[in-house]
Amino acid sequence: MLVKDVMTRKLITVTPDDTLGHAATLLRQFQFHHLPVVQGEPAIFGFTGAVKPLYLEGLLTSQDIDLAVAASGQQPWQERHVQEVMDRSPVCVTPTTSVSAAAQLLVERGLNGLPVVEYEQHEQRTRALLVGLLTRSDLLIALARALGAFEPGMQLLIPFTAGNPTPLARLLLLAAELHVQVRSLVVVPPRNGQPHTATVRLGTINPAPLLMRLQDEGIEYTFPDLALEERRHDNA
Amino acid sequence: MTMPDLTSHPRVCLAFDPLELHYDFGADHPLQADRMRALLDLLETCQLWHQGDPLLHLPIRPASLDELRLIHTDDYLAAVQRLGASAARLPALPLQQRQELEQQAFRYGFGDGDTPIMPEMHEVSAMIAGGTLVAMSAVLGLPEGGQFASPQERPVHVFHPGGGLHHAWASRASGFCVYNDAAVAIAHVLRASEAKVLYIDFDAHHGDGVQRAFYDEPRVLTVSLHETGRYLFPGTGDVLELGNGLGRGYSVNVPLEPFTQDDSYIEVIENLLPPLALSFAPDVIISNHGCDTHAWDPLTHLALTTRALQAQVRLVHELAHRYCGGRWVAVGGGGYDPYRVVPRAWALVWAEMSGRPLPAQLPTSWVERWHPSWEAMRERERETWEVMGKPQQESGFPTTFEDQPDHFPPVPRLQEITRANRHTASLVRHLAVPPAVRPAFPPLRQRSPLTGLFDLLHLRGADTPSRSQTLQTPRGPVLLRDFCPPSLVERLRPSNGLCSFTRLPEREHRLLLEIARRADCALALAHTSGGEIVGEVTLAPGDAWWEGLEQVYEVAIEVSRDWRGLGIARNLLAFALDLEAREDLIFFAVGLSWHWDIEGTGLSIYRYREMLIKLFGSQGFKEYPTNEPNIAMDPANVLLVRVGSRADQRIVSQFFSRVLSTPHLPRL
Repeated sequence: MLVKDVMTRKLITVTPDDTLGHAATLLRQFQFHHLPVVQGEPAIFGFTGAVKPLYLEGLLTSQDIDLAVAASGQQPWQERHVQEVMDRSPVCVTPTTSVSAAAQLLVERGLNGLPVVEYEQHEQRTRALLVGLLTRSDLLIALARALGAFEPGMQLLIPFTAGNPTPLARLLLLAAELHVQVRSLVVVPPRNGQPHTATVRLGTINPAPLLMRLQDEGIEYTFPDLALEERRHDNA
Repeated sequence: MTMPDLTSHPRVCLAFDPLELHYDFGADHPLQADRMRALLDLLETCQLWHQGDPLLHLPIRPASLDELRLIHTDDYLAAVQRLGASAARLPALPLQQRQELEQQAFRYGFGDGDTPIMPEMHEVSAMIAGGTLVAMSAVLGLPEGGQFASPQERPVHVFHPGGGLHHAWASRASGFCVYNDAAVAIAHVLRASEAKVLYIDFDAHHGDGVQRAFYDEPRVLTVSLHETGRYLFPGTGDVLELGNGLGRGYSVNVPLEPFTQDDSYIEVIENLLPPLALSFAPDVIISNHGCDTHAWDPLTHLALTTRALQAQVRLVHELAHRYCGGRWVAVGGGGYDPYRVVPRAWALVWAEMSGRPLPAQLPTSWVERWHPSWEAMRERERETWEVMGKPQQESGFPTTFEDQPDHFPPVPRLQEITRANRHTASLVRHLAVPPAVRPAFPPLRQRSPLTGLFDLLHLRGADTPSRSQTLQTPRGPVLLRDFCPPSLVERLRPSNGLCSFTRLPEREHRLLLEIARRADCALALAHTSGGEIVGEVTLAPGDAWWEGLEQVYEVAIEVSRDWRGLGIARNLLAFALDLEAREDLIFFAVGLSWHWDIEGTGLSIYRYREMLIKLFGSQGFKEYPTNEPNIAMDPANVLLVRVGSRADQRIVSQFFSRVLSTPHLPRL
């Protein structure tokens, strides 16, 4: 999965000469925390993909504004300009960065958002063309989507031993045979690196035919069990 | 046939068209059109209904493309028509054309075993959608409901057993559903009238399609009770799915544990639906009576019997008469035990709706006709139960309308299941029922024997039963009185503007009465000398969220729209809290932005919030940050707390640890 698959493309931006009051209003109005600062884009709705390319000048976060408010002396903070407090060289990623690298970057540097840029050479200078923004929320939504949460389906846990994913492979073949859609398939390696359960989300309201086949073939699965369910949950 | 007296017995109809019997995905599919045939046969054999009876039969018509477009997208409608038309000759088509059609089928949700392409599916599904639309229009008196010679002949309740296809999305078929008939009907009502619609979904699967269609619509309250999506299709329907934007608070979900039985289920619905209906004040109710919740159903894990199914219908019937003039449409829904469960379950719906008593025994001729069909599928049903992890029951074909309790022994983990469901219900109650409505509907578990709040608040043995005080306002004197007894509330009448919690002053009055009757609540009123209630303050023990904390009371306040800006709120609050014991107690007030009367005050949401903070601040309440999910859900929400100076330090620290770090509702 690449950054371009999960990033936010519709952006609301400010220019270096905007006031902090204006930026704070935007942040409150749209309820988010990051404003990319771009050159020469006067409009509030600087949706990227608009006619004019946007070149990244910096990044303004709600935290920058908080600090400016705390430090405000004679001059009211609302009248200060974005360029006085913005981060001029924010950590950026490109659309083809992998999502896992971006996630690690966010966590390790303690960041909440990364501007997504494409670099272009212009008269001996490198300019950063803003194409999107990747925040922690985007990653969480991507996670939920990867788990199949936005598609109707039922969930099945398939235990298997590491090195032998045959039960999983059989399940997928059976699903194909019975025309059951696989909405998502997640195998998370635990700390020791040996996966032992796959979470499969199947797009069917009627799992019985598939379950019967699984039982015929001796493939184990976890489904609500009258006596055991609670205990299994506790163990998990 | 003679015309019965329609003034004393309002007309009740069953909507049906023979075309609906073509909604059938084939022999091995769980959804069998036979269930409808068995139902109609049962109704006719018992002489409860007959298609030829013009009084009881509501003729229906297909929904037009224009009406279907209210919910579904153009490309989806085109695809359904195209696929349905070519379904019969699909195998004979040239390869390339067939592949193209299959691709289209896949794209629009027909590519799997759940919802296969069926011949004429557009015509059949449009008829079903039209049926629910006509039914809704008829009870609301809209022109699409048909012409009636006199208003009395307009039906008040309509049952449309063919409807209830609640999984269909705007541009995708899902879970046996092609067109979402309830959503189309509701959308039509929203377009054609000012009515507010309460949708109650009893199907064991989450009503995701209807919820999605109205997720941001405050005029439609969708309430779905279903088996938890932990394993079951469609996986959605968590308590925290509450609606979005303006519709926040208008989607309610109650996910129940697998193997939930009657007692727990009835407890949950009786504790949640009445306060929800009261606070929403619908103009019409539409209920989905999917009976796949029954213990015999092969596709889900709920374990109800006809007793709980009957409780659902009775409750909805009662709510319809109490809150919306009887206007009520019931639709069918899921139900995959086509011979043993569906006919009996829906006959119960029709019997309750039409007020006709059911015989105890099923007619022998009917049993003889349908028993063999069940025998034919009995083995498959047994196998299905086994793989689904349901307990095996050898109870045979039923002979009575109601289930025999001894066929349904209590499940092993009954206690745990009941507790988990209570936990869910109190969370829902906490999130979706406005604070001022809650005290009138005591919680699931009665609290430990509590001394009356009066004694608690008059620790030093005051002898005055209740205080009163006169407040001079520019509009004349207003009397303030605390601990109002029910008799006083009965003699007073509510001001017209006293309606922000329950929409109608009369209901607010009934609510105040209920609160006055409770020993553990205190009610302070402001009323004019003419007996008009213009404001109220209620003190009630903290609800389930604060379970186990004594001496913690929730404060709620309301002032009539017509009497604002006169300082009544401030004075009434000061008066209500002017108690001897105030320094021994913790008071808190929760401001949830989706309950605020923004419209009535003309304030913005943030101005309203500031106004609340100022109002309660005058009594020493302070704003506290909290991660209680309900309040944390919207930045405009606010928690205001006043800790008495003599309050027990142990309780205070317990209280604040709950305010600031409550990942879960405390276990009941």
